[in-house]
Amino acid sequence: MAEMEETLDFNDILDDWFIESLKTYKDLHVYQLEHPTQVIEWTSGRTVCVAGYSSSKNEILELHLPLKLLADENKGLCAERDFKVVHGGFAEGPVCCLRHVPGTRCVVTNDGLSSDLQVWTVGGDDSDVIRRTGSVKGTRSVSAGGSRIAAPLSSQVLHGARSSDIQLTELTSGQSLYTLETDSAEPLSSLQFVSDAVFLAGGCNGDVYIADTRTSAAPQLCPGPASRGESVLWWTDASAGRVVRLSSSGRAVISDLRDLGEAVSAAQLDVQSRRCNLDDVRVSWAPALDDCIAVSGFSAAVQVYKTSVWSAERQDVRPLFEHRGHSVSSRSGDHVFATAHVWHPERPRTLLSAASDGSVHVWDWVDQSEL
Amino acid sequence: MRDSQRIMTCMTPTFSRRKVGRLLGAAFTSCRCFHTELGGLESSALPIVHHSSYACELPAGHRFPMAKFPRLLHFLIKDQVITEKQVWVPEIASEALLSCVHTEEYLNNLMNGTINEQEQRRTGFPWSEGIVTRCRYETGGTVLAAEVALQRGLACSTAGGTHHAFPSYGSGFCLLNDLAVAAKYLMGISSPKRKVLIVDLDVHQGDGTAFIFKEEPCVFTFSVHCGKNFPLRKQQSDLDISVEDGMKDKEYLSTVEAHLPWLLETFGPDLVLYDAGVDPHGEDELGRLRLTDQGLYQRDLYVMKTAVSRGVPVAAVIGGGYSRDIDKLALRHSILHRAATQVWRECGM
Repeated sequence: MAEMEETLDFNDILDDWFIESLKTYKDLHVYQLEHPTQVIEWTSGRTVCVAGYSSSKNEILELHLPLKLLADENKGLCAERDFKVVHGGFAEGPVCCLRHVPGTRCVVTNDGLSSDLQVWTVGGDDSDVIRRTGSVKGTRSVSAGGSRIAAPLSSQVLHGARSSDIQLTELTSGQSLYTLETDSAEPLSSLQFVSDAVFLAGGCNGDVYIADTRTSAAPQLCPGPASRGESVLWWTDASAGRVVRLSSSGRAVISDLRDLGEAVSAAQLDVQSRRCNLDDVRVSWAPALDDCIAVSGFSAAVQVYKTSVWSAERQDVRPLFEHRGHSVSSRSGDHVFATAHVWHPERPRTLLSAASDGSVHVWDWVDQSEL
Repeated sequence: MRDSQRIMTCMTPTFSRRKVGRLLGAAFTSCRCFHTELGGLESSALPIVHHSSYACELPAGHRFPMAKFPRLLHFLIKDQVITEKQVWVPEIASEALLSCVHTEEYLNNLMNGTINEQEQRRTGFPWSEGIVTRCRYETGGTVLAAEVALQRGLACSTAGGTHHAFPSYGSGFCLLNDLAVAAKYLMGISSPKRKVLIVDLDVHQGDGTAFIFKEEPCVFTFSVHCGKNFPLRKQQSDLDISVEDGMKDKEYLSTVEAHLPWLLETFGPDLVLYDAGVDPHGEDELGRLRLTDQGLYQRDLYVMKTAVSRGVPVAAVIGGGYSRDIDKLALRHSILHRAATQVWRECGM
């Protein structure tokens, strides 16, 4: 009886949320995975890959976004409002990092335990299977954490677990094309290309390395923002010449890529600092919305901040938008965390997010300030 | 009721295009004269109830398709489904009338603008005088449609179906429960009370109405809705049919056909209030079913014909529908009035 009442109350909360969501979102579609994912990676303009991270066998799935969301002008014509699984496969271990190799049907994964990578082919030949088609050896040294992966335009993959073992490997041949030489062996929290050959490696202590795969010159090292004795982790994202660094205490610093030593602006985000693992928090620049970043991992919420209103002095800031769907729609409430998020590459306010309860949402929020 | 006006209805009518149906106070339940200028008495065509105040201003970007009400009338006239002569104009529902369903406290808060933030959020409307007024006209329209249906056999409003409103609070774009007010009012207070069957085919369960009439033997609530749609917290109608996502025309019609005739037979209503929501349509933004225009037409035709051919009058309201294309939505709602016109013709009314 008490259980039934609880269900009724929970349904009431969901109903409240539904009505509110009509106002706050232009679109909102939810999907429930059997097992949660901490990766969401675009494999085309309409499909994403997700994968489980439990200690044993995990599914890798390619999902097609709801047609109703994508239909824009002819929204009415699409009855299909759900995500659809289009391809699936199994990984022997957890999937902590997953990257699509652009222009191919390949994805590359890392299990967070060793620095080796697994290579997969998604579908092909009328098959709906995601199958393992290769691997890339990481460095032999035993590393505490797994590798970050960045995939440039050609079939090469940049990967590494620490600043001391970053390599560029040719996927088909397995040949190592480049290796970064550094003194420190800082665990990496991010690795990305900022141009065809130049990449940025973010250490979890906030240090940032910038190097060029075409030269063997030493990388440029930009030490992380000074943290007053706190033991924090840092995450980094770069886009259009700007770099944002975010700490596990919610401190955000923005710099110009060409002058990382200087902070253009800073802010204290409206998040609850928590003890984090390297894989928990994500920060990313919006590809199609000026000066906006999305942040997830501190709670069940995904927040969007407009950085252009930040000042040089670190001040408390409020998010431009907060997606609360994962906490509202989860029975566990407080114990749910957002595990990943990605921006849609073209639609300015569309994001996908995933949470520890297995939920996956795609949402297009309404900018209230524009009304 | 003013005597001079009462006399006027029984005298030779003066000519005027617009009819104004005035609602009688709750006390006068047996009088079948409404205050109306001509037109209504002259026109032998299907009665259509409409008020320009069915629509009001909403904050920019608001999701509720308010413009559908005037657009619906526009299309009905433009497509020559009806003429202006058929239009009956309702009076605003008085507080006395509304109080037969809604609590005094709620009505006071509604009139005075003291509905709290959380309650407002649940309705989906920020409070304004305008929104309250339009909801009152809408309710007045449904009541008038019911009254006219009792006299003429069939009537349709160009609004109505606010079935998520409960006695003490609003929900899901509904502030007042028009179907409940109409049913309660037409049921009457003296024995034998009229029996009212509420056929709610909006894709969302008529939870407010179900709750209001749970213990009332003279009102039977019948709802066909999609289980996964709002509200997730369901009430208990007298008959609930919860259908699966994606249901199409044929199966949906079979579902209605499986229940309506025997309900009419066994419950034996004196009046049917029909909520012809178009949100079961495949293109509806919120509904999870897959009916087509044709399916909606067949459905409406079936419901009205089945009741009318058994001598049971039907008052129909447009119910819910959600689309960003207002014209498409208005045309979809007009399916009801086109079907009603067909029934009017076929049944020689």
